[in-house]
Amino acid sequence: MNDMMMLLERDVDVQDIKIKASNVQVHYGETHAVKDVDVQIADKTVTAFIGPSGCGKSTFLRCLNRMNDTIQTCKVQGEILLDGEDMYDKRVDPVQLRAKVGMVFQKPNPFPKSIYDNVAYGPQIHGLFNSKTELDEIVEQALRRAAIWDEVKDRLNAPGTGLSGGQQQRLCIARAVATEPEVLLMDEPCSALDPIATAQVEELIDELRQRFSVVIVTHSMQQAARVSQKTAFFHLGKLVEFGETGQIFTNPIDPRTESYITGRIG
Amino acid sequence: MEEQHIASAFDRDLEGIQARIMKMGGLVEAAIVDAARALETRDEELAQQVRSNDKAIDEMEEQINVEAARLIAIRSPTASDLRLVLSVMKISANLERIGDYAKNMAKRTVVLAQGPSVQDSTSALRRMAREVERMLKDALDAYIQRDVELAADIIARDRDVDQMYNALFRQLLTFMMEDPRNITPCMHLHFIAKNTERMGDHVTSVAEQVIYLVTGEKPDESRVKADITSTNIQEM
Repeated sequence: MNDMMMLLERDVDVQDIKIKASNVQVHYGETHAVKDVDVQIADKTVTAFIGPSGCGKSTFLRCLNRMNDTIQTCKVQGEILLDGEDMYDKRVDPVQLRAKVGMVFQKPNPFPKSIYDNVAYGPQIHGLFNSKTELDEIVEQALRRAAIWDEVKDRLNAPGTGLSGGQQQRLCIARAVATEPEVLLMDEPCSALDPIATAQVEELIDELRQRFSVVIVTHSMQQAARVSQKTAFFHLGKLVEFGETGQIFTNPIDPRTESYITGRIG
Repeated sequence: MEEQHIASAFDRDLEGIQARIMKMGGLVEAAIVDAARALETRDEELAQQVRSNDKAIDEMEEQINVEAARLIAIRSPTASDLRLVLSVMKISANLERIGDYAKNMAKRTVVLAQGPSVQDSTSALRRMAREVERMLKDALDAYIQRDVELAADIIARDRDVDQMYNALFRQLLTFMMEDPRNITPCMHLHFIAKNTERMGDHVTSVAEQVIYLVTGEKPDESRVKADITSTNIQEM
């Protein structure tokens, strides 16, 4: 009975909203790249953003940890709340925000440093440890979570850039999880990886959602179907449909979603 | 979906597999009509033909399954494409069962032709088979036209078939009580009637697949079962 109550409570947890975006507009100079997007990202859930190239999904993803701040011509309007707090508020430090909302990019981009330092960097700048031993533990745990520990444990001082593409990407994921983020944004994390490395990253994503929420942009519809519980379809800057992944892939409501996932529009 | 796939070979595959379903459906329709006519006219030769033609129906089901598996493996169909492949697999299984029932009718026809005929029950059976065959034809039309209304109509019409079966059940029971020599032919006729009623259920399932294919939802299971013989108690 107790177990059951725990399960029920957990179910409620799963439904908690981590990020709430309302009426988000993004302009790049003259281009209106994201139009009127309202979406709620649930905690401990993998949410996939799909849509044709240029539909605004990556731009919108980058709004979720203020990556667009650095682009001069980019203007973000609307409201994006993380745990109910406006992440675009002037008092919010974007560096602190990005420790909470981590990001993994399409191309693996390890720092030109050792494997160890790549992972230790985040905890170092955020002061997340008290001793060298503690930092060692953080690094090892992050590398284990990213399913790369066994491959690199004997050469932690070797440069991160010397790893294979798949290993570099998992190193970047280790770097992203080392700061214990609450949300992990992934922008096509597998597009440069072979099928085996892809499967490892997907397995990892499934593990990560036990602890935080993951938002993934992917061009592979099969990947979206495999890893996510919620799917959002973007088209021409608009969020066309958002729902349970199973429903989106068996019986989408909007004909534009249908056309896209069945391979009728590019 | 009227729009074309970007991969035109996918469109050709989907059209091909549906064309096979229509062809298989045509063979099954012919099997019902021929089996019922052979029964009524005591035509053993036609009955034999129905039996041997069933092999072709079974082979088509196998081909459709192989093709559906290939489509799933190669194309990873989603949404309406996925529902189309699933519906094709189910419909081919329904058609195969209907073909088996027609074959069984033909088999019993050969036995029945050896003895005396039992009043007018064979023509009642033919009318029943005729109705099932019409329903099947409409179900296949509804499938190819994606016509949900027609499909719903077919599901409703299955009641008529059930009622025809109820009437035959009583009639055959009466014949058996009147004269024990009628028992053997009437038992065979009863199995034929029951099998024809089952054919109607399989046609209904085809019609349900049409609704699922178009709407993505199963029709609600509130359909009244009109076969009441399972609770029938006959006064002796």
